[in-house]
Amino acid sequence: MKEDSRNGGFVDRSLIGILAFLKNSLFAEEHALKHGFIQSLDPRIKTLTFILFIVVILLAKTIPLVLSLYLLCLLLACISKVNLGFFLKRTWIFIPLFSLFIALPALFSNFTPGEELFSFKAAGLALVITRPGALTVLLFVLRVTAIVSFAVLLSITTRHCELLKVLRIFGIPQAFVMVLGVCYRYIYIFIGIIENTYLAIKSRVGTEIHYKSGQQIVGWNIAFLWVRSYRLNEDVYKAMLSRGYNGEPYVLDDFKVNSRDWLWLAFSGVIGICITCFFH
Amino acid sequence: MHNLLFSLKNVWFSYLGKFPALAAVDIDINAGQKISIIGANGSGKSTLLHLLDGLIFADKGAASFCGRELNEKDFNDSEFSRNFRRKVGFVFQNPDVQLFCPTVKEDIIFGPLQLGFGKDETQKRLEKLIAILAIEGLLERSPNQLSIGEKRKVALASTLIIRPDILILDEPTAGLDPLTTRHIIDLLIDENISGKTIITSTHDLHIVEEISDVVYVFGRERRIVKFGSPDSILSDTALLSENNLVHIHSHRHKDKVHVHPHVRLEHHLQDGEPG
Repeated sequence: MKEDSRNGGFVDRSLIGILAFLKNSLFAEEHALKHGFIQSLDPRIKTLTFILFIVVILLAKTIPLVLSLYLLCLLLACISKVNLGFFLKRTWIFIPLFSLFIALPALFSNFTPGEELFSFKAAGLALVITRPGALTVLLFVLRVTAIVSFAVLLSITTRHCELLKVLRIFGIPQAFVMVLGVCYRYIYIFIGIIENTYLAIKSRVGTEIHYKSGQQIVGWNIAFLWVRSYRLNEDVYKAMLSRGYNGEPYVLDDFKVNSRDWLWLAFSGVIGICITCFFH
Repeated sequence: MHNLLFSLKNVWFSYLGKFPALAAVDIDINAGQKISIIGANGSGKSTLLHLLDGLIFADKGAASFCGRELNEKDFNDSEFSRNFRRKVGFVFQNPDVQLFCPTVKEDIIFGPLQLGFGKDETQKRLEKLIAILAIEGLLERSPNQLSIGEKRKVALASTLIIRPDILILDEPTAGLDPLTTRHIIDLLIDENISGKTIITSTHDLHIVEEISDVVYVFGRERRIVKFGSPDSILSDTALLSENNLVHIHSHRHKDKVHVHPHVRLEHHLQDGEPG
């Protein structure tokens, strides 16, 4: 686009960055395929215990309790061969930082009165940070971080197809799970189409085109993608019909629980109860 | 005829009622036959195969399977639909359409589970099939991670596991390397020897002779312009040329320029020269 080269570069980088992020976060199964501790567990037991930990964190009212569960999560990441730097980056960007901004006002005496910890002036206003305010914010951010960490650890150490199967076991209607699975499958194809279309445009017109033409090309491609997705939708439905689908999908559950899974379940239960009792 | 499977009499079909796709098609297909449908792009081959698989229905004319008319109403009867789907298997042109599950294994076992074969039977069939097609290493992978050849093999497996009596294949070798093409052709020939009816659409004339007892040629008007034995069709260069199925091929063997329509390898062997 001929706004200026910096903008063109920005659009380029954004598009390629978004597509690469989608591919890496949705489709890369690098950590799920490693032979670590969490990866070796049955996905149902793993999900159940992670949900248990998340519930304990949600109900926790003390910082040491949440902190100990967060440390347990980091320990699990380490023994599951997940790179700690990658894991911290993945869990601390966005959600915990975002939650910090939300919780920030609670620091001050106007919202959380109590013992003064620190005071300062900003724009002619006297602001007082209170001890209860600071503790509330710390607990909130830590809680969000711990929950996000458990959720991320579960998603990166479990193959997406297994997570979808687990949804079925937790009572989510089969038709809904199947739609999710089909979406997951075809998002990848559409990412490929967008990438190739972008390269095809770039190879023929370059990046230096008038913004109006650029808008036309983008608009035309959105329409083209819509038509393709509509056609694909029809064809996939035909392929399902052709193999006997009649609106009620049947699936094979081939999970196997072994003694290690039962041990982990018992251990998680005991840990959950002990931590809760000890810190309450 | 007692072993007549499909019978199409003066069948017409158009998309949305205004884009003609089939015109006055007459075809009879008997049990155990190998049928090839050849024609240029957009000549109606895929539409015909979809019609034979009961995915679309004729606007005009009569299409029947084992003496029973193929219409939408009958496919709403779950018993008829299930029996039909157990007997007729379809391999789509685009394997990405056929492989819609998150993993290869789920894709392969989708058909038998829907058709009520039971979990143990499905598992047994799967084990047998992965040994035949040598796809054990692919089972836990996502279809996104497969090459086009692997996708076609898996798409074929997802149909073969149903063990249909009739196998319909829409351009099964398109875009494949010669070795994978060979594997697929060998597999189809084996299936035919074991008694299955094979109906294939293709524009790869090199494979037509092996996979056909009868060849139907579709013309630009989306109607059958000729049918007959592979020999009689493949030797009709004017017909093939008129329907965009051959081109004049010129190349050099040592110092001798060699010009011929590109139909069969035998053209290269006429002078005792390799292709």
